[in-house]
Amino acid sequence: MYPIIVFSVSGLLMLFLGLSVNKKSLLPYNLLFMLVGLASNFLDWNAPGLYFNGMLEISNPIILVQWVLIFAAILVSGISSRQFDDTHAYPAEYYAIMQFALVGALIMVSFQNLLMLFVGLEILSVGLYVLTGSDKRNLRGNEAAIKYFLMGSFATGIFLFGVAMFYGATGSFDISSGNSVANNLLEGKMFFWLGMVFIFIGLLFKISAAPFHFWTADVYQGAPTVFSAFMATIVKTAVIFALFRLAAYSFNLEYENWSKFLVIIIGLSMVIGNVTAVFQTNFKRVLAFSSISQAGFMLLSLIGLGAQSYGNLGFYSLSYALATISAFGVFLVISSNTIVEGRPSENINVFDGLFSRNPDLAIILLISMLSLAGIPLTSGFWSKFFVLNDAAAKGYFWILILGVLMSAVSLYYYFNPIRASFKKTDLGKIEISSLSKYTLYVCAALTILFGIAPNILRSLF
Amino acid sequence: MTFIALIPLFPLIGFLINGLGYGKISKTAVPWIGTGASLLSFVCVLLAYLNFKETAIIVNLFDWISIAGLNVGFSFQLDQLSIIMLFVITGVGTLIHLYSAGYMSHDEGYGKFFAYLNLFLFSMILLVLGGNYLMMFIGWEGVGLCSYLLIGFWNKNTDYANAARKAFIMNRIGDVGFLIGIFLILQNFGTLEYLEVFEKAKAFHVGDGIIVAITMALFVGAMGKSAQIPLFTWLPDAMAGPTPVSALIHAATMVTSGIYMIVRSNVLYTLSPFTLEFIAWIGLATALLGATIGLFQNDIKKVLAYSTVSQLGYMFLGLGVMAYSSGLFHVITHAFFKALLFLGAGSVIHAMSDDQDIRNMGGLWSKIKITAITFLVGTIAISGIPPFSGFFSKDEILAHVFEHNKIMWALGMLGSFMTAFYMFRLFFVTFKGSFRGTEEQKHHLHESPKSMTTPLIVLAVLSAIGGFIGFPEVFHLPHRLNEFLSPIFENSRLVNSSFGVVHISHNLELILMGASVLVAVISILFAYMVFGNGKNVPVADSEVVGLKKLVYNKYYIDELYNKVFVGPISAISFFFANVIDKKLIDKIVNSVGEGVNFSSKKIKELQVGVTGSYILFMTLGILLLVLYQFGPSLLSTFNLLQNK
Repeated sequence: MYPIIVFSVSGLLMLFLGLSVNKKSLLPYNLLFMLVGLASNFLDWNAPGLYFNGMLEISNPIILVQWVLIFAAILVSGISSRQFDDTHAYPAEYYAIMQFALVGALIMVSFQNLLMLFVGLEILSVGLYVLTGSDKRNLRGNEAAIKYFLMGSFATGIFLFGVAMFYGATGSFDISSGNSVANNLLEGKMFFWLGMVFIFIGLLFKISAAPFHFWTADVYQGAPTVFSAFMATIVKTAVIFALFRLAAYSFNLEYENWSKFLVIIIGLSMVIGNVTAVFQTNFKRVLAFSSISQAGFMLLSLIGLGAQSYGNLGFYSLSYALATISAFGVFLVISSNTIVEGRPSENINVFDGLFSRNPDLAIILLISMLSLAGIPLTSGFWSKFFVLNDAAAKGYFWILILGVLMSAVSLYYYFNPIRASFKKTDLGKIEISSLSKYTLYVCAALTILFGIAPNILRSLF
Repeated sequence: MTFIALIPLFPLIGFLINGLGYGKISKTAVPWIGTGASLLSFVCVLLAYLNFKETAIIVNLFDWISIAGLNVGFSFQLDQLSIIMLFVITGVGTLIHLYSAGYMSHDEGYGKFFAYLNLFLFSMILLVLGGNYLMMFIGWEGVGLCSYLLIGFWNKNTDYANAARKAFIMNRIGDVGFLIGIFLILQNFGTLEYLEVFEKAKAFHVGDGIIVAITMALFVGAMGKSAQIPLFTWLPDAMAGPTPVSALIHAATMVTSGIYMIVRSNVLYTLSPFTLEFIAWIGLATALLGATIGLFQNDIKKVLAYSTVSQLGYMFLGLGVMAYSSGLFHVITHAFFKALLFLGAGSVIHAMSDDQDIRNMGGLWSKIKITAITFLVGTIAISGIPPFSGFFSKDEILAHVFEHNKIMWALGMLGSFMTAFYMFRLFFVTFKGSFRGTEEQKHHLHESPKSMTTPLIVLAVLSAIGGFIGFPEVFHLPHRLNEFLSPIFENSRLVNSSFGVVHISHNLELILMGASVLVAVISILFAYMVFGNGKNVPVADSEVVGLKKLVYNKYYIDELYNKVFVGPISAISFFFANVIDKKLIDKIVNSVGEGVNFSSKKIKELQVGVTGSYILFMTLGILLLVLYQFGPSLLSTFNLLQNK
């Protein structure tokens, strides 16, 4: 609960700092605020309970997920170093909005009341609409922002409709009231069920699960890369945990009634995400489609819904965040070094010869791609292993087979940048700011560490 | 038992030094580091073996994962089976490292190559030394990855890169099976540690459905890794890699991991006769298919590749009739003679200035004497002529097959007839007659350096005498391998009374042995009559006709796979990427870029149109999902309401 307060205040401070200090020192302030937020979460440790009249729940597992969120935000800030140096950028606003969006994300993993979920979702979304269009001179960015906003509003509408149904059926916004309709008659339950499905769909849109994924590729491509990374990691984590909370506390007695269609969505996400990514040439689009398929994998733990699922999802989120942020980070450095037609090139061929241009970045890219593909001795292997095991526990073997097959397909496009980076080239060395370098080192090192000794992280949950 | 932990450590260190120091370490130090790591690992295996007493030793380095319901340790298990596999891997591995020092010396990626080899060795050691199925899987994936790296090592042309990718993806298809097997084991046994799984397996009855499912799923993994029908086509393509790689990975070690896995899980397989029968037939079919394709290949490495496919088929045939130790016996002898043959082929290719077509060779016997003699030893060994090693192991498999099913045995004999024929065809066409290559090649013909011939000689000796570790019972000499391995099959004996019972009389055994020698000798004579004078040379590709053309083109299996699987998948992917994504999405995005010149009104229309169509798709999706989920209950509710 404390980080919510910290970031609400620090976001405002950030805006004022933008007026008084120079651009370069904004990032350190941002990092400082985030570290304060991270630390303030310790105050809630071992003090589980409901806060603000039963609006938010705080418990150790929730705090862990909040740490994952804040940590991912720190990493994203880390790779943003030197990205906002030009005169048209307004880093104070970006960082402030990032912190506000983080408030939304933190609320979304700890809500006890559907109104709070709505508030969190909107704080997060509105911030992102703005960030997507923050590069005002980029036409694609503007279009992406509008598109994201229109479709996001549509999804919000569906979500709110679902909440209304839920309220109609239960007479309460409290998530635990979902169980009170268990013994109702069929007619009364119809509203509850419809509400449930619409709430699910509204949230599934936000993690870009198929068939609600259409916006993803355009928005990832159009948004400035730093914010694509923010979207891919923080938003996904926040929403998947919101979904998990609902599945576990509101709709657990109706498992039969949502698992059926969720499995279809998982299958669709895996197939559409992976198959479409194969022929993409724009790296941000590749990562967008990869994020669709990863969303499919994350949803497996909702299907599992066992005692370990929460921890599995936590492990997955962090591991995915580490790999994705390092992929975006490496890409960010190289693409801003490769200007085509006045704009940073986003084609996969920017990676050509990376190994000779900057071996460290090539190795980090390799680790990140292997982790996303789920190759053993990276944390990505374990995250897939955990969620697949979850699905297996419920006997969903066909989705298991599909998942493993699709991760075989994914190797194809995850290996493309790797192969490109080992090509020969006579392009010069690539310089990288020390902050993003160390951020990327941390990502890669943790990916390997959690791959070799997953217990370090997994046993926390 | 510190030696055990050291076995995988040395190759890992070697990999790190050569890998991280790539380009910085001098070219003379690279092979020393790589080969040294492998040799030290071999020494550790030897020390571990000398300290080993009967019972399996478990070394748990740390808990990999320990949460409720899932406990997996990063543990090693040293027992009879892993010792034998380790000897083969590190022993043959060291020889091949040594050979590579000479063979690859002109390559610019020398350090990278040794780094990959060491990484491969590390993964392979994890695979056989791991104490649970997850460790095995880690090694399993690791060797697949190294295989990918090493096949595509010469990433100069796209064919090689494609071969590498094909190998990796086919292996991944197999891995689907393996992973599902692992999940099934975890769900039903609650653990992945070998000893616990096998202990709990004893409570199951023969033919239990769960066990059948587990064993079948695991076998799918073995099909991929050990190149069995229908997942075998990657192995011949994998010959695109450097020859030492073919020798190490695609002949001696990695491809036998499927056999190791089944021998390791022998209790489970003994509990499932259905799977065993399936394995036997798949193995037999692969043995025959590989052998027939091998008959007409003209690329020296391709012949050996199909021969490997065929020999792996024999090993599975042996496993399928519960002759686990015979299958493993063949793994060992095959590692010797096939590594020898591949390295010999490498030496020939080296002499021929990188030409692999046997039609351009001929008369090499006098030019490269050591290579030729050792190659002959390998050829005799694989053909099954006593007292060379291949005879003992293959004969033991066939004897068990005879007992199990006479038709299988007859087909197996047919396969060994073909084996002897294609191998001696290869030998005669390559080494006999007169030289058919260009003048330039002739000028360059030379014997390979010492670092290459030494491994050849050592492997030739092993191929010649390696079979003595397992004499047939009829000779009243000890079968050391069986005695040593016996504790591994303890559980199999307990769960299935039909395991390990031998009915064959000594007389029959002698007759069978005579028959297989006779078949091999006739086949060799036949090959000699056709190719021995060196005048009959296989015809050029375009002149191959009829049935032979079918076989020459490997039954068009690759083409079939392309049509049936690759075609549709890439079509779908192409459709998504280029029609849905490009036409529908990109087109709009692009037209917005162009549209700057248009009126702003026009753009607005475009944008609204697109987002609208997205929303239309979404709404359709929602509608379908709601109908799918609630269609039936919605209907019944409305009916209820109407009735009221």
